[in-house]
Amino acid sequence: MSEQSTVDPKLDIVIERFIDAPTRLVWEALTKPEHLKEWYMPRAWGRVANAEIDVRPGGVIRIDIAVAGGQDVPNLGCILEAVPMERLVWTSMLFPGYRPAVFDDIPITAIMTMRSEGTGTRYVFTALHRNEGDVEANKTSGWLEGTEIATDQLVAHVMSMK
Amino acid sequence: MVQAAAADEVFHALSNPTRRRVLERLSAGPATVSELAAPFDMQLPSFVQHLSVLEESQLVTSSKRGRVRTYEIAPERLKVAEDWLTERRRSWEARLDRFEQYVKQLKEKETEP
Repeated sequence: MSEQSTVDPKLDIVIERFIDAPTRLVWEALTKPEHLKEWYMPRAWGRVANAEIDVRPGGVIRIDIAVAGGQDVPNLGCILEAVPMERLVWTSMLFPGYRPAVFDDIPITAIMTMRSEGTGTRYVFTALHRNEGDVEANKTSGWLEGTEIATDQLVAHVMSMK
Repeated sequence: MVQAAAADEVFHALSNPTRRRVLERLSAGPATVSELAAPFDMQLPSFVQHLSVLEESQLVTSSKRGRVRTYEIAPERLKVAEDWLTERRRSWEARLDRFEQYVKQLKEKETEP
């Protein structure tokens, strides 16, 4: 299952980090609402107002963001794969329960993998896009910058869980 | 259980002011994404996410004609919220009725010679 997708540099955004903590903690930080609330949103930009995750194929992933201006932004998707301590895949192209959802949005499929490396974990986040236009939009809108900051917050949060 | 899950979705959808305003607008009739987004000072992808939460709760439905997506309200789904509230009100009213009866009894006892 883990070899089913190949990265296309034109369509995918890849963020990679080494985290000096066991894969078990990285998996926890990615799959528990109380941990998602700590790192998912760049702290200078806002906070996570509500997080819900049902870690199984077809399960819900819902992370509502509250930004400084006061308006909430929801994020809703469906989990596609959940291999503990290895791989979590979800998409915003589907509603929970695999229900088809078609929107004029910028949908992504997110692949989060972790692999033991020495005493730590190699964490790779890949966002698959439909086309180069969507990639460009995510690079210029602040989405990429926010995701990079959030990934650094994930690293820091996992270190604090040790 | 199915009903409880539906109530979760519906009340979550109703818990946000942007989504409630969209429902208010759709109560007046169907509207396109850009018509719905116009009054809000919000990036379109963020706004569309609100529509997706509404659609997932089945409070609205959408259809696409050419490049234009149109939303409309699905009022029968609001019954999930209405039924839940009605049930709560009914049990409180029954409780208050019993309380009233009880107070009446106390009063009658007191006025007995």
